[in-house]
Amino acid sequence: MAKVQAGFADEIKRFGAVDFSACYNCGNCTAVCPLAENDNTFPRRLLRYAVLGLEDDIQSSPEPWLCYYCGDCSETCPRQSNPGEMMMSLRRYLTSKYDWTGLSRKFYVSKAWELGAIAFISAIVILLFALFLRPTADPAGLINAEGGVKINSFVEGIEPETFVTIIEFGDWTMAAIVSFFLISNIFNMYLKIVIRNKKVKVPLRLYVKEAWNLFFHFGTQFRFSKCKDWTYWALHWLVMTGYTIMFTMIVVILPWFQTERIHPISHPQRFLGYYATFGILLAIIVWSVSRIRRTGEVHKYTHASDWIFLIMLFLTTLTGILVHFFRIGGLIYPTYYTYVIHLAILMPMLIIEVPFSKWSHIAYRPLAIYFTSLINSAAALEREEKK
Amino acid sequence: MGMDPDRSKYDVIVIGGGIAGQESALNLADSGLSVLLVEKDVSIGGKMIHLSKVFPTLDCAACITTPKMSETARHPNITISTDSEIVDIEKNPDNSFSGVLIKHPRYVVENDCTGCQDCEDACPVIVDDQYQYGFVGRKAAYVPFSIANPRIATIDIENCILCGACERACAADAIDFTQKIERTGVTAGSVIIATGFNLFDPAVIERYGGGGFRNVITSMQMERQLVPTRPFNNVLRPGDGKMPDNIAYVLCTGSRDETVGNPICSQVCCMYSIKQGQLLLGSLPMADVTIYYLHIRAFGKGFEEFYQQSKGMGVEFVKGKVGTIEQKENGDLIVRYEDMREGRVKEAEHDLVVLAVGMLANPEAETLFMGGKLEIDEYGYVKQVDRLRNPAKTNIEGVFVAGTASGPMDIPDSIVSAGAAASESLSYLKRAR
Repeated sequence: MAKVQAGFADEIKRFGAVDFSACYNCGNCTAVCPLAENDNTFPRRLLRYAVLGLEDDIQSSPEPWLCYYCGDCSETCPRQSNPGEMMMSLRRYLTSKYDWTGLSRKFYVSKAWELGAIAFISAIVILLFALFLRPTADPAGLINAEGGVKINSFVEGIEPETFVTIIEFGDWTMAAIVSFFLISNIFNMYLKIVIRNKKVKVPLRLYVKEAWNLFFHFGTQFRFSKCKDWTYWALHWLVMTGYTIMFTMIVVILPWFQTERIHPISHPQRFLGYYATFGILLAIIVWSVSRIRRTGEVHKYTHASDWIFLIMLFLTTLTGILVHFFRIGGLIYPTYYTYVIHLAILMPMLIIEVPFSKWSHIAYRPLAIYFTSLINSAAALEREEKK
Repeated sequence: MGMDPDRSKYDVIVIGGGIAGQESALNLADSGLSVLLVEKDVSIGGKMIHLSKVFPTLDCAACITTPKMSETARHPNITISTDSEIVDIEKNPDNSFSGVLIKHPRYVVENDCTGCQDCEDACPVIVDDQYQYGFVGRKAAYVPFSIANPRIATIDIENCILCGACERACAADAIDFTQKIERTGVTAGSVIIATGFNLFDPAVIERYGGGGFRNVITSMQMERQLVPTRPFNNVLRPGDGKMPDNIAYVLCTGSRDETVGNPICSQVCCMYSIKQGQLLLGSLPMADVTIYYLHIRAFGKGFEEFYQQSKGMGVEFVKGKVGTIEQKENGDLIVRYEDMREGRVKEAEHDLVVLAVGMLANPEAETLFMGGKLEIDEYGYVKQVDRLRNPAKTNIEGVFVAGTASGPMDIPDSIVSAGAAASESLSYLKRAR
């Protein structure tokens, strides 16, 4: 039997929720929500769980991830109980609960921990460069035929191909760390939502049948477009595609991306890079301005982790742009140092944000939709069998 | 009408001629005090005179109010000034109150008009009838409503085209277009504020159609459809005149809602909706009535039984605030809500939706006194400074508050409140003398 925990509200408030205790359980939020449908009703039910402190019910709910924070609920809430922000806080809380290391919670509730961890990883990256990949003192021969900087030839005694391989090795190490934590957290999420679900047992064949959900929703964020203001979705999609392209280029096909010669602008390496940079930069500007001005419910409340995310993303983009133009401009040492700083920001951002913080939603959202469709289809099957 | 020899000196000024104002005025007048009753409308009666029945007894509202209105109008100690307002009230050094009574021109000589309605027949201008809440039209020269008091004509000069047809039709020669605003200084020993409440205007709620849906009406409009003096001879939906057979009530429209700036309960909507539900089952025996509620507040004597009775009669109760209303092409409405028992979001179709609108403070009370000296509470009502011991007391000694001017309440409570205001005013005057 579930136990009421009055103190649970305080725990959720650590993750950002403004006061939600005013809720009088009228159901307006759920009724106006364009995303709540059928059995997956929210936010009221989740708010109720939080008020009563029903931790297990919250942890086994996929609903927080089905919410895209259109803000209609908070806007029309008769008690101004901020159901939208409550759902946002639950996502942070769940991220910390899926994470078995306990780091996620530390990063969310303490700025010192999060900034400290970022600084720590940054320092490691800079240290590695300082120890093993110091730039040559002789800049001769670092300019290529196009007049730009040869980005892979900085280190004396290391061939360009070897340099790319070293960086690629670093990328893969980072990706391995990130994947290890993220996948183990995903497994935790799967246990909580699907396996410990007391209502239904999901037959194996449904996992295959419903798998399309995962790819479709990862690629499109289709549900997000159901919000009244479709620009939220459009901007998010721009960032998502931009980032996925960028991530693929720097991790999966680095030798193709980080070349000695400077390709013409018509080369996909360049225009894909420009597309990604444009999308990410536009989103950073719009989101930052909206958060400062507090326009729309979704930007009204900003948790420290939101700012850290935006600032890190901005610095990564900015240093990336600088590296690019320093390279084209033939500025040898600025290219090298900015490149090191770029990596010293990018690495901690991915290692901290993806498995432990805001960026984990890249996996949790499509997975929650997938798990929900598993449970709902299994329930439908059971209903049919009973007939 | 009560004729005081000095038309400018009274014992008490009662502001507002609704049920509370009348009750206060009658109590004081019966004790031998002279009362000036100031009413801004062209008839006394307030909101109650337009209601169908009262809860939970189902007594006819007009049958209770009309005799009271007549008694007030005929009382020798009461002077009624309709179509009037009082402004710039001030407390004098001798503790008396003085103010300026502004009487707006009615363009009809009150003592000459017989209420024959010949002017109404002659008038060519038709506009919305505010006393039928826009369901039907009325003329620009008109008797406000059949049980008005005084039951005499008035001319709506805003819409009048000055054709003179009424003047020619009037056998009593009572039409007088030369009337002007009259300002008189009045003084009294005490003031009772009974300015009542305003109904919430649901047009501000976009997701309920913003006032644009043909078959979404307010509870006051439904009230008009259920009275004997109703606009149509039956309950009809205004969009196309179809007799509705699936009616929804949306409770807490504009009450307990921070987004419209009214966080408090209006105290009457649950009960009047339950009452209307019962009356509808009587007038439309084949109709379904569904009440969407947040919490049913049946707190008064006999209220819970009345609620249970409506359930027994077949009124459907669904727990959940209506989130959105959408209009279909045929004028039917789709209501979206969360069914909390089943944990599902549902949509239901209705052919008439009644918004159970709440009470809002009447902001006019605030401007009665010079320099805004009257204290108002956080919800905009007249502040009861000593609510538990002297519920009618305001921050100005000698000024008392009656009825819904002090907060949302039902009719019996308004009358109790008005009685309290009258007796507190009376004892104040005795003490002062």
